[in-house]
This record gives sequence, C-alpha cells and structure tokens, in this order.
Amino acid sequence: MPCSGIGKVHGLIAREATYAVTDELAPVNAETLCLALLVSGDEEALAKIQQSDCITIDGCPKLCAAKNVEMAGGRVVRSIRVVDAFKNHRGAQPGTATTLADDGWTIVREIAGDIAGCVCGGSEVK
Amino acid sequence: MRRKRGEVAMADGEVKIGIISCSGEEIPEGTISRLATRRVLELMRPGNTVTICLPLFLAGNEAEQEFARKHPTITVDGCDKLCAKKGTEKHSGPVSAALVVSEILNGDCACCARSAKDRSEKDKEAVWLVSEEIAKAVDTILAENNGCRTPGDGDSTECACSKPIPGIEVQIDGKSVTIAGLGIIFDHLAENGLVADDSSGDKLLETVRIYHQIEPEEETAYKSALISAYKTHRRQ
Repeated sequence: MPCSGIGKVHGLIAREATYAVTDELAPVNAETLCLALLVSGDEEALAKIQQSDCITIDGCPKLCAAKNVEMAGGRVVRSIRVVDAFKNHRGAQPGTATTLADDGWTIVREIAGDIAGCVCGGSEVK
Repeated sequence: MRRKRGEVAMADGEVKIGIISCSGEEIPEGTISRLATRRVLELMRPGNTVTICLPLFLAGNEAEQEFARKHPTITVDGCDKLCAKKGTEKHSGPVSAALVVSEILNGDCACCARSAKDRSEKDKEAVWLVSEEIAKAVDTILAENNGCRTPGDGDSTECACSKPIPGIEVQIDGKSVTIAGLGIIFDHLAENGLVADDSSGDKLLETVRIYHQIEPEEETAYKSALISAYKTHRRQ
C-alpha cells in the first residue's frame, strides 16, 4: 500500500515501487488497493485489508499509508519510508511529483526489490 | 485564528481553491486523477489552487482536517466509488464540485496505464481532458467567490485568474505557435538536469506534449523549435 502522496516526488516513488512489485516482481503474491478506498470506509476494502499481511510505503514521515492501514484493522508487517531510501542517495535528483528522473527510478527499483524479497521470501522482518 | 465553516482561505485577497485527487492506486483512472490535478496546480491555475494528500484527512491532525473548511474544494475521483468526495466530506467539509474521471472520459480509458513506465499518448490525452475539466471547475468557483468572470462570458474585462498562464512563442513550419507554460516547463526540466543542447530534443518533446497537443507529423518541427527555445531560455 503506497501513501497516495501527491505533493512531492516521494509519493510517486512509493506508487511506482508498488507497481514494480505487483506488476513485475511478485504479481502472484502481491496486489495493491486504493488507499482512498480504505479512507472512505469501503467494506470490501476493509475486509480485504484485514485478511492480508500489508507492506506500506510512505513518502513522508506522516506515514499516512501505515496509519490508515492500521486504523482499518490491517496488519502492517513492514512499514517502508521513501525518505529513508534517500539516505543512500545523497544529492540524488529523483524528479518531480509527476515525472521520475533516472535517480528516482533507481530508488524505485531498490525499494521494489526489497519488498519483493520480503513478499516472496515470506519474511516479516520490520 | 480558527475559521468558521464556510469561511474561505484568502491570500492577498484571492480565494485559493483546494483540489483533492483520489489518486487511487488500483486503477489507471486514479493515476489520471493524480496527474491531472498536478497539471492544474503546476501549469494551468498555479496561483489559485492548492492540494493535500487525501489520506491525511484520517492520519493528519486537526489543521489538516480543516482543509475543505478553509478552501472551496474540488474532488477528483477516478471511479464512481467517489472516495475523495466521501472522504473529504466525512473528515473535512462539504465540497464545491465533484469530478469523476471515468465519467469525463466516458469510460474510454481501457488502454490507460497505472504506472508512468507504461504511459502512452492515450494517457496524456486523458490527463489533458480531465485537467481541462478541473480548470473549468476552478474558474467557476473563483467566479462565484471573487465575483470575477469566467472566460467567454461576454465581458471584455477578464479576471486575471481566468487568463491562461504566460507562454512562449515558437515557430512550427513557418507558423507562430504559443505554448502555454513553456517557461515553467523549461525551468522544471533545467532543475532536473536537462542540458541545453541538441540531445535534449526527445525529452523536451516528451514533456511538452503532455501539456500541448503535438501531431505525429509535427514532431520533427517541434523538436527543433523546442531545442532552440530551450537554449534561448537557458541563456536568459
């Protein structure tokens, strides 16, 4: 579950990392759900989230994805913060809230690879 | 000072319109809602609009939950589940307009993509169409709140908030074409490290066509004109 952040590139990185996992790296074992659907209290979405292990990817320290999944009764087995990924990429030019530059895609691949390893390996280490 | 419900946020006497996108991750329409909202914020009505991440209504504090009480708010939902509208009204306040991407596109988004990696012409056209509708809604609400007029209402004195953002004129096959917001696009690309030389053509074309219609047969002329304009802009 990415955070749906719209203001900064970090939200886009969270979103693209999610697609990299669900569409390419682990399509059988992982899927995503609209975070807004949880926010609006959709029953089907709530039931789904409560039956699944969730990995959240948040762009900023406000942790909207992790907090909303927890509030919806979901089990957050891992909470990833995009800002932490930037610590290994000092001076990176990741792009903007709408377009990723090469550095942005590099960070996307790193986060996605990390999540895919967790999903496919069954690890739940936070 | 805490505002009463219905009292709107003003900056220098102008109303700021809030735009809240559902940004739904599960469907392409969510990606379109996000990109169209950003397009309005950055290029079409940059001085009159603000946004907030939808999930902040729940995870955020009271100040964040006041968003729709402070700003006349437009919600942009991907589908008819209306998550942005319902979430905003539940946690913040009533909305001034509620747009739905699937309705605007008349269901014609089967070829659209969720990821930026797979973005095609169809996606760009969809973002274009939806952002035009958002901008129209912004103008309508501004007119209601400021008493100013929307374009084409018969009055020759247009309100500044309804005017398009300044553009740069380029020559395409001997014709003058003004591309709205081209200066902002150039600044944005420069910030992202795009060098002003002949190798920048593909990136310039790819970015500009998100905001400006370019027919396939015009690509070569546009590429050449954009490289030249970008070089000039960077020298200034």
